[in-house]
Amino acid sequence: MKTKLSVSEILKKYNLIIMLIIFIIISAVLSPDFFTFNNFFNLLQQASIPGIVAIGMTLVIILGGIDLSVGSVLAFSGMITSIVVYRTGNMLGIIAGCLLGIVISALLGMITGVLISRFHLPDFIASLAMMEIARGAALLTTGGNPVFGLNKSFHILGGGFIFDKIAISGVIWIILTVIVALLLKYTIFGRSLFAIGGNSEAAMLSGINTKRNYAITYVICAILAGFAGILTASWMSTGQPTAGTGYELDAIAASVIGGASLSGGAGSVVGTFGGVFLLQIITNIFNLVGLQSYYQRIAKGLIIIFAVLLNKYVSKERK
Amino acid sequence: MKKKVLTVLLVVATAISLVGCAGKAKNETTQTESTNASKDTFTIGFSNCSQDTPFFANMTPIIEDYAKEKGVEVVSLNADNDVSKQNKDIQDLVSRGIDVLIVNPVNEDGPSAGIEACNKANIPVITVDKNVKTGNDVWVGRDNKEMGRQVGQKLIELLGGPEAAKGTILEIQGTAGSTTMMNRRDGFHEEIEKAPGLKIVESSYCDFDRSKAIPATQDLLQANKDVVAIYGHNDDMALGASQVVKEQGFNNVLVCGVDGLMEAVLAIKDGQYACTASNDPVLLGQTAVDTAIDLMAGKKVESFVDAGTIIIDSSNVDEYVDENLDFATMVK
Repeated sequence: MKTKLSVSEILKKYNLIIMLIIFIIISAVLSPDFFTFNNFFNLLQQASIPGIVAIGMTLVIILGGIDLSVGSVLAFSGMITSIVVYRTGNMLGIIAGCLLGIVISALLGMITGVLISRFHLPDFIASLAMMEIARGAALLTTGGNPVFGLNKSFHILGGGFIFDKIAISGVIWIILTVIVALLLKYTIFGRSLFAIGGNSEAAMLSGINTKRNYAITYVICAILAGFAGILTASWMSTGQPTAGTGYELDAIAASVIGGASLSGGAGSVVGTFGGVFLLQIITNIFNLVGLQSYYQRIAKGLIIIFAVLLNKYVSKERK
Repeated sequence: MKKKVLTVLLVVATAISLVGCAGKAKNETTQTESTNASKDTFTIGFSNCSQDTPFFANMTPIIEDYAKEKGVEVVSLNADNDVSKQNKDIQDLVSRGIDVLIVNPVNEDGPSAGIEACNKANIPVITVDKNVKTGNDVWVGRDNKEMGRQVGQKLIELLGGPEAAKGTILEIQGTAGSTTMMNRRDGFHEEIEKAPGLKIVESSYCDFDRSKAIPATQDLLQANKDVVAIYGHNDDMALGASQVVKEQGFNNVLVCGVDGLMEAVLAIKDGQYACTASNDPVLLGQTAVDTAIDLMAGKKVESFVDAGTIIIDSSNVDEYVDENLDFATMVK
């Protein structure tokens, strides 16, 4: 009896870490190239952009919402920034371009948030509409063409390395995760998200400004997506209007693997960090071993199911 | 209510397309418009598979502008990669009374219902870029296998000939199941097999998308040691690979692709890219319009019109550099 309890206790607290460790061990056995510093730094870079998008998605999911527009906002912001960087070609232009990309993303997030909170559009529909609008706008900026020939110093943000090894974008991802984790735990705003997600009516009655917090959360989510768009453009040295297609689903999957509940009120950005890493490891190990990508998708699906079942089992134990 | 929304949408769509046309017209000289206008002109319907990638996005204005130059009217629609939308598009074009259809199919079985409708209405069908299995009169396209073959040949030459060439080639693959992908792969493999010292390692499918090609290249460089070259099924992916190669200090790895993307041409000029096979949408679109004109004039046209390709490498790159273009052009 006692041992059983401790097992479930361990599972409860560390289920994601256990899964990550299991996967890392499996991967290391499958490929000698997996457990190397080089590969881990690659992984960090590869996971950083979807990871930053997933942070915002987790916040929205905690609130009990969903944001399907992140991939399109990412693309639109990346295009705006690339165009400004391309046209100006200097440091000032890079800064201006990034700021403009962020501001426009924030605006798009604001629109989605207000549509949901003030006009009572379902979150799924409002963000679906924004997904279409932002993607169309991204394609419209250049008529579907990518923007290339960007200033070399712009590449540092998304494609640069510290000590020649550690991707700057990866470091940014870690820092953002820590900041948002602290925000969720120690600020009134952060805790109010859980309250709204858990029971929006009760939260409102207890004096939380739910409408405002809804809007703010969608703005944060869009800003993070927009920032990821700037990183993507910088990383590839091109603005691609089709960038970020399908990122919303990866971000939702990572959040759920990390313990978020789509009914709201539960989730953690540290868990999401692990979820993104886990999904990236799957792609990575399939590439290293040289297996067809069809299997990758099946494996991804199975892992999502497994992770959610595990979370469910753990939360039942908690009761 | 529904009607109102629809009307508003239609008005917006029309406004957008008008603005688009107005924007284009500014760059054009308007003198050609009047030359043929009075004669018995006809209307081309153009159904494009999508306008999301530069190659397809360029195709629509190219066909519209060139047809205008020739005094022919074009009605073009975009299927957004959706087979059922393409069929509906083509049926709408037939209802609008087009005289000839140019279609870039979403896939080779995709627009069969639409093409059938054209056959019934005696409207000749020209497929451009990609082909369909039945129902079309002419296919204006390129031999993607030949492109793969020519890149393979060039690569072997750059690696010191079929006897001396040795090492691993990473192949960054396009979209699973796409005929373009398979042809570019098969043509390339045919050539590489002639060099016994070379081995090909295929990547997972990267959907012709640079953001998927970069991590795939990172992983493959991690898993394979004696890499001498990387071949991308398009330039967009190969350019991503070339970025990784540069970042990780594999300075001797030759990177090559297909499409003649201007970014790749400029990279060849900078010495960071080995070669590409041109796949110029301008020539392709113009050839399709010329074919339509020939068909309407009652001339006999072969069932396959090859728009041709050419290898661009450091020896001839200067002829193709033009930063104002998206693709290296073969139009002289």
